[in-house]
Amino acid sequence: MTQMVADAVRQASVNFVDTVGMLLPRILITVSVVAVGWVIAWALKWAVRWLLIWLRFNHGCDRIGVGAVLKTADLPPADTLVSLIVFWLVWVGFLLSGVDVLGFTALEGMVRSFAQFVPRLLVAIVILVLGVVCANFAWRATLIAAVNARVPSPRVVSGAVRALVLILGGAMALDQIAVARTIVLTAFAIAFGAVMLGLAIAFGVGGGGIARRILDHWFPEHPRSEREEFRHL
Amino acid sequence: MADETLLSDDLLRQLVAVGHVDVLVGIPTLNNANTVVEVVRAAQVGIATYFPRARSLIFNADSGSDDGTPALVRDATTHDTGTVTASRPLRTTQRISTPYHGLPGKGSALRMIFAVADLLSAGAVVALDPDVTSVTPDWIPALVRPVRDGHADIVAPLYPRAAADGPLVTQLVRPLVRAAYGWRLQEPLMGEFGCSPRFATHCLERPAWGSGIPDGVDLWMTGEALANGFKPAQAALGPRRLAHTRKRPGLPDVFQQVMDAMCACLELHSAYWLARGPAEAVPCVGTLPGAIDLGPRPDAAGMALAFTRDVAALHPVLATILSDATLAGVTAAAAAPGPLSYPDDLWAATVFEFLLAYHRAVMTREHVTQTLLPLYLGRTASFLLQYGSSSPSVVYDALESLGQAFEQAKPQAAAQWKKA
Repeated sequence: MTQMVADAVRQASVNFVDTVGMLLPRILITVSVVAVGWVIAWALKWAVRWLLIWLRFNHGCDRIGVGAVLKTADLPPADTLVSLIVFWLVWVGFLLSGVDVLGFTALEGMVRSFAQFVPRLLVAIVILVLGVVCANFAWRATLIAAVNARVPSPRVVSGAVRALVLILGGAMALDQIAVARTIVLTAFAIAFGAVMLGLAIAFGVGGGGIARRILDHWFPEHPRSEREEFRHL
Repeated sequence: MADETLLSDDLLRQLVAVGHVDVLVGIPTLNNANTVVEVVRAAQVGIATYFPRARSLIFNADSGSDDGTPALVRDATTHDTGTVTASRPLRTTQRISTPYHGLPGKGSALRMIFAVADLLSAGAVVALDPDVTSVTPDWIPALVRPVRDGHADIVAPLYPRAAADGPLVTQLVRPLVRAAYGWRLQEPLMGEFGCSPRFATHCLERPAWGSGIPDGVDLWMTGEALANGFKPAQAALGPRRLAHTRKRPGLPDVFQQVMDAMCACLELHSAYWLARGPAEAVPCVGTLPGAIDLGPRPDAAGMALAFTRDVAALHPVLATILSDATLAGVTAAAAAPGPLSYPDDLWAATVFEFLLAYHRAVMTREHVTQTLLPLYLGRTASFLLQYGSSSPSVVYDALESLGQAFEQAKPQAAAQWKKA
């Protein structure tokens, strides 16, 4: 009996040592991959940062309105943000490669999934950035045109335009990375339809007077206004 | 030399038959049947009365009128006007009306007129606006004589203006051209002008014709003359009334065109104006009659109220264009109780900062110019509230003070322009 217990313990010890002997090099490889990955990711981060600074990337982002959005959202400047994204993408890639080396069945395929996910994530980011740019352009164009056309509440009108374009861009970006696709699409369709219906009812029923004034302004019976008649040249 | 493609074979035959001319009067037209006859008659009488010995040509470059304008120009005579000329002309004033091809607009028409002047070795060139109903025969010698006497290469018009007349010129273009180009020219947007053949040939040889400049050809010619050392002069013409028959573009479009032309000229002539010193006076020929109110008086109080609303609405856009100090000044002016006051120095700083924003392209350039429009209306309201009922001499002094404010603001703007 005692011999049996001793054999079992010995066997368990041998198995443990074998397992450790088998896993230790893999763990060391994983740690090495993760460490080297961190160094490479860090180096890439700084390289990208300096390249973007040299290209005056922040200046370009400020011109198209992305800089202001980042500032409003309390996010770092555009060049820092892009370099951080590069850092995390590269390092997570190395991290998953390192974990894959361990050979855990549950984690198998993660690298492949991540490799498939990265391009979609990049496209989603591009869509989001384009959405912000378009939203800002539309907001500014609407605001200036509304002010010069004497449309009532120009900031409300231009803000609504910006919100709609941002929501559209956000929904497209989420759809691209397939995050809760059904929920996002359904929510977007319901929200967009509700907003449009609400606006139509508000404009047609509640804002009949405003609608009349706006239409009178756009299509005057006698197309002369004080502003137009006055000779500026 | 004139571009051969500008002049058709048929037109060349007519021009060769005319030969050398001493005075060329060019009239660019597009559906001006209601007013062009009086303009042609005024030109004919002016030439016959003041230059009876001169060989002359009235040349109409038409942009494709469908109301019979070219025929009216060809058939216009002075016989049925009851006009008595001081002396019988010794020569017949020739008339040619021809369509031109290419981009429609005053720029293309003037280019053709310059080409004709170059081909005929014209002694002096005059361009008249066919929409002006107040043109008189006296305008011809006023625009021709400084050129013929060798005193000037370009003769700009001078109109008597009331406080409310043409604020886009008096509040914006005039002081800006004065500060930038260094000449106290009263009417940089030359509706009518006279010029020497040397200047016509110079304009003809410029490469700018194909690059959008002809959209603002009046300002471009002014800039070309001042920046290239052509001698300027001003001729007192009297009031300028425009026909009300034509549908004109709205203020936003006009403002956009003027600002685009102004900014394009400043970009084009930056080497000149950045180094130019204080403004010099431009010699004036003739005496200007007192200003008369030509149009409806604007609702200055209403414009001031709109200015307050507009500045509040546009604040986030203005913050990307104006410096903190200027933005604070504009915001304070808009929010201040009592009659609106938009001081000269603040307005000058505003305009120069908008020009810098346009130059740096901090946003779409159309957005920059359209954002300035409400501020321009506010400045106009402020000026009218202060000087709307003042005497012409007080208005003149106020506009002179505005010009000086622009001159004082220029060095800082020029330094920032160079940095950008």
